[in-house]
Amino acid sequence: MTVSTGAAIRSSPQATDRARDVVRRHPRAVFGGSLVLLAVLSVIAVGIGSVPIAPSETLAIVLHRLFGLQLGIAWTPASDAIVWDLRIPRVITAAVVGVALAVAGATFQGLLRNPLADPYVLGTASGAGLGAAIALILPIRVVALQFGLLHALAFVGALASMTVVYRLSRLSAWSGLTNLLLTGYAVGSLLAAGLAMAMYLSGASLREIFAFLLGGFERASWTRLTLAVPLVAIGSAGILLRARALNGLLLGEEAAAHLGVDVARERVILLALGSLVTAAAVAVSGLIGFVGLVVPHVVRLTMGPNARVVVPLSAAVGAGLLVAADLLARLLGDVPVGVVTAIIGAPLFLLLLRRTQSGYEL
Amino acid sequence: MLAAIVAIGCSPAARATIPPDATASMLPVATGTPALSTSPSPAATFPLTLTDDEGTSVTIPARPSKIVSLTPATTEILFALGAGDRIIAKVEDTALYPPEAGRIPNVAKFGSVDVEKIVGLGADLVIAGGNTFTPPEAIAQLRSLHVPTVVVYAPTVAKVFEDVALTGQAVGRGDAGRDLAASMRAQFDQIGAATSSVSKPRTWYEIDATGAFYGPADDSFLAEMIRLAGGDPITTGSPNKFDIPAERLIAADPQVILLGDAAYGVTAAQVASRPGWQTMTAVATHAIKPVDDTVVTRPGPRIVDGLRALVAALHPELVLPSPVASVAP
Repeated sequence: MTVSTGAAIRSSPQATDRARDVVRRHPRAVFGGSLVLLAVLSVIAVGIGSVPIAPSETLAIVLHRLFGLQLGIAWTPASDAIVWDLRIPRVITAAVVGVALAVAGATFQGLLRNPLADPYVLGTASGAGLGAAIALILPIRVVALQFGLLHALAFVGALASMTVVYRLSRLSAWSGLTNLLLTGYAVGSLLAAGLAMAMYLSGASLREIFAFLLGGFERASWTRLTLAVPLVAIGSAGILLRARALNGLLLGEEAAAHLGVDVARERVILLALGSLVTAAAVAVSGLIGFVGLVVPHVVRLTMGPNARVVVPLSAAVGAGLLVAADLLARLLGDVPVGVVTAIIGAPLFLLLLRRTQSGYEL
Repeated sequence: MLAAIVAIGCSPAARATIPPDATASMLPVATGTPALSTSPSPAATFPLTLTDDEGTSVTIPARPSKIVSLTPATTEILFALGAGDRIIAKVEDTALYPPEAGRIPNVAKFGSVDVEKIVGLGADLVIAGGNTFTPPEAIAQLRSLHVPTVVVYAPTVAKVFEDVALTGQAVGRGDAGRDLAASMRAQFDQIGAATSSVSKPRTWYEIDATGAFYGPADDSFLAEMIRLAGGDPITTGSPNKFDIPAERLIAADPQVILLGDAAYGVTAAQVASRPGWQTMTAVATHAIKPVDDTVVTRPGPRIVDGLRALVAALHPELVLPSPVASVAP
């Protein structure tokens, strides 16, 4: 959404091609532009909420908190708590989760060479959901650092399902990508059945499980952020450093091997990093769909398939999309953010698909 | 549909004083406000036709002896009226009361009803929950199988009293039902008089805090209970929205926080550590108290205890008149 060049795309096919070439030749400018847009969206998102707070007051609070500055504008402790303890962590969490999901989506799509892959493709979603449901059914309530058993088991469930899928896929004689995908599908279905059963048995906890499955940022906090940010940062940076391997794998495993990529090793590492990033996002915000599937496609459609460009740009666009979607979700009265991402994202994506003249292959 | 139910709920007099011209001849109570009347009335005569809380006219052919209770509140009301031994099956109740109800098998849980089993047990009266508490398909199915099914739904305190009387009527304990309703109303009036002149602290009653923060909707039963107990409830801002954004809660600055979710392990310490909540008066003054959500929100005989619990939490200094002895079965 940040990378379209607006009116320039509108006219003839030649003009479209030219515009796209211009965009593709300046990935740094596009990345810079999307960061600026992300910053603007974030500022708006901090300024707006269900309790009206004057922009000057918000600015005074932020400057005071960050640099101890006094602008001579008075504010109430409630406004301070709302801006600093609720809105800012929420906006940053949305951005971090957007980064995580978009980067993981780009990784899995490239790794599996499948346009329908998303961060949840290898059973992660059902694994995390089942973990959360089990946490709610167990008669234990542990809360440490504002993370409950639910978040811990969701994190574990996401990682465990991915590990099981990978191990199982290597048991059969042919260990190709199709095998990995199908194993993921089978394990995911099994876990989904377990999740459905757990939901059926959960009784009064049903709504909690449901809220987790819908995802959202209502309970974002600095504490949760400090745990999620390192995982997402390390995972995403690791993936970015392996962009060369990801580019090689995109050509096919054989071609990658000829290019000197250690296919088996790189695949495990990328899978592990993608899973880590996804699990961190899931533990913080539940399951938020769509971002991880569509953002990498949007970026690839406009910028070409080079992972060195796709990974960082997906991160910026994913962050921007989730910040905007969460702002809209809040303004609409806390509707599930996944619904909003789909409502903003799907038409944009369709528009982009229609405008694409040349073929598009992963 | 919902509007219709609410409309019924909002005119307590409409059904309590059943229009004499319409159905009185079929009812044991002919005139007056039945819940307050203590004068002896003619013994219930079956077949009996009554109008339930959804406005459906239900005919009960004979004094029921195999009753199925599909709301926890109904189970409590039936036991309080001395009809507990006639309940043959009930809805699952995670906060079971009274303990004697434990022996009764479950035929329903939240969102699903085993219609086949109810029919198989030969039930001659089903009391179900309105506002989709009991799935409407299940109610329709039971009625199509000629099982008399009375739907109760109490969105207000006054409606709870009426439902107590209505339930008594349906099971042939009309007198006991009216007496219990009258006693409950008298206690509410007494407590209401005691709290009418106290200062009303801004009160956040937390139903649940997983994901979002859930509390009383505008004009809800819970909001009414808090008002009666001498509190100023912080509501969600809409009659059909149950969650409230954290920032609005902080801006509303509750003076007392009542933890209806204490039974799920939420503690005052956890509440105090929530991001941004330290600015609330209730947190600064440690006015965070657990309450037993079941007695406060379950529309049965124990709402009197619920109201007392709320008063005790909101106004510990207030001495209430001692409880009126409850009606013997």
